[in-house]
Amino acid sequence: MTAPPVGRLCAGIIGTGGISRAHAPGWIDAGAELHAFSLEGAEAFAEQFGAILHDDLDELLAAVDVVDVCTPTPSHPGIVHQALDAGRDVVCEKPLALRAQDARDLVEHAERAGRLLFPAHVVRFFPQYAAAKQAIERGAIGTPAVLRFERTGAMPRQPWFADESRSGGIVMDQMIHDLDQAIWMAGPVTSVFAQQNRRGEDGSLRTAHVALTHEGGAISHCRGLWGAPGTVFRYTFSLAGDGGRLEYDSASGDGVSWDEVAIAGRSSGGDYLPDVSGMASPYALEIRDAVATLETGSAPRVSGADGVTAVEVALAALESIATGRRIAC
Amino acid sequence: MLTADDQVADRPEHAADRPLRIALLSCAHTHAAGYASLLDAREDVDLVVSDPDGFGDVHVSERSRIVGSHEEALDAWSHGPDAVVVTSANAHHRDLVLEAARRGAHVLCEKPLATTVADAEQMVEACREAGVLLMTAFPVHFAPQVASLREAVARGSIGEVVGVTGTNNGKLPTGRDWFTDVELSGGGALVDHTVHIAQILDSVFGEPQTVHAVTNRILFADRAGDGAETGGLVTLTYPDGLVATIDCSWSQPADAPTWGGVTIQAVGTQGLLAVDPFSQHVGGFDQWLPYGANLDELMLDAFLDAVRQGSGSDVEPSGEAGLRTVKIVAAAQESVRTGQPVALADL
Repeated sequence: MTAPPVGRLCAGIIGTGGISRAHAPGWIDAGAELHAFSLEGAEAFAEQFGAILHDDLDELLAAVDVVDVCTPTPSHPGIVHQALDAGRDVVCEKPLALRAQDARDLVEHAERAGRLLFPAHVVRFFPQYAAAKQAIERGAIGTPAVLRFERTGAMPRQPWFADESRSGGIVMDQMIHDLDQAIWMAGPVTSVFAQQNRRGEDGSLRTAHVALTHEGGAISHCRGLWGAPGTVFRYTFSLAGDGGRLEYDSASGDGVSWDEVAIAGRSSGGDYLPDVSGMASPYALEIRDAVATLETGSAPRVSGADGVTAVEVALAALESIATGRRIAC
Repeated sequence: MLTADDQVADRPEHAADRPLRIALLSCAHTHAAGYASLLDAREDVDLVVSDPDGFGDVHVSERSRIVGSHEEALDAWSHGPDAVVVTSANAHHRDLVLEAARRGAHVLCEKPLATTVADAEQMVEACREAGVLLMTAFPVHFAPQVASLREAVARGSIGEVVGVTGTNNGKLPTGRDWFTDVELSGGGALVDHTVHIAQILDSVFGEPQTVHAVTNRILFADRAGDGAETGGLVTLTYPDGLVATIDCSWSQPADAPTWGGVTIQAVGTQGLLAVDPFSQHVGGFDQWLPYGANLDELMLDAFLDAVRQGSGSDVEPSGEAGLRTVKIVAAAQESVRTGQPVALADL
């Protein structure tokens, strides 16, 4: 084994649940020395990824340059503030916070501290969405008019996701990806109308529909689903403008297909994260973008303000669901 | 009261023994040409088409006739037509349907049934009083894929349905500018394209409780008339919590190889079912060769069968189904005006 290069980036993952395992390879790819602290599951994570474990958050903060906050959403603000106070740059899993003011406070704190706050809106790094965004920027569909986004998967297994007071529910935790995409592609949102339907014990099956109006006049529909047990992760979009239309459906595959006999021998379904094995890992690209910002000062693809906006629009959707009214933003 | 049955019984030849006398009124709608062609090809139909606007692009064989006025078409037979097919601009549906009912002729009326709820109610009532059939022309109702959806939901194959996303996207109709002249059409894409999916939802799930809609006028903005929306998203909520959204936009690019399409995705507690009635085609670079069932033909078959059976028969989608979808459009338009969801009961 070669010695670490001088000045090697030290990254600390906080919380070693599901999403941390998607992020960790990105840090390793970026050449970072990986550290971790978690209330649960830290040993298994350290074993899998070769991370250096710490007994408490302060010890980890003292040892690293940048943290990656992968804890359940309610704990994001406290941990991010603590990391910024310690002078660390921060990558934080989405959503930044469950309350808009909390999210705004985090961004303001990062600006005051002169540190990066990078909300991990990973869908901006999925190559399909990135390609569509670039095409829209160069005018491939003209002025965006009617956009549709769908996201389908199983409800995450960890119980806190089912609790809307902790996860924000399907709109705040899952659909926020597509709310962010709609805003990224069609601009700021002026109003939100949303409906949600829940079934099963603890709402184990949930779907939500959101209609957005954008400043430029575009309208968007986002449909989220935490489906029946065994639901395979799937994401689609349809982007219509006055100069053309772009469409994508992850069910169209990645260039590798299995027949029914072959599928029977594989486990599939029940996923709450997409299978990214057929593409450059969006999670790794996301970490690389954060690292590039730290190393070169380049503008990150997703800013703290973007993370705040996504939370604000998701909260407007939740208010619409609660009141039955269209909510102005 | 004189009913259509009485009139037919009075006629020298009973309708069962001779070709049905069909007047297709107006060539304004883009579907007129297709219906005329199918009716013209049938040995059991005697067809007269009126083209008072002089579109001149609906063609029939020597078996049929094209005349210059609705009166000429309706007066083409001494005992009047057995049935009329109304394919005028939307705002003219009411007067033509009322005239057909007055003459005791059964009616197949192009969708949307009317441009206002009051007109649609008057049409349904007039046909009921006259004892004539009123069918609303929803060809997609006859798609085998839509039948599969109806059967699957009825059998509970996907459990309880909790959400639906329907799309009816197309090109802006060409050569028929009235489609976006709100005086003649009643509105834009919201009026033209919401009703197809709304009728299918109506046949499966019944009436929604509230309707919310957002629209814009970005697509085909250079060709759409003033005030005609070209993009729209309509969200329906049902008493049991079902939420359904219809994308009614004219969002198919003008140079696409096919006119557009219809898709319906139903999400149930035991899985997801998606149907695409226009999916069957042979493709290729810039090619689209449809080979699926001819839905217009299936619809006309159902209508003509019902006409032969007479006024006691039922035919779906009925005028009442057409009326219910007109109410949904009216609620969607009201929602666009108010910026808030509209309860159908408040309409």
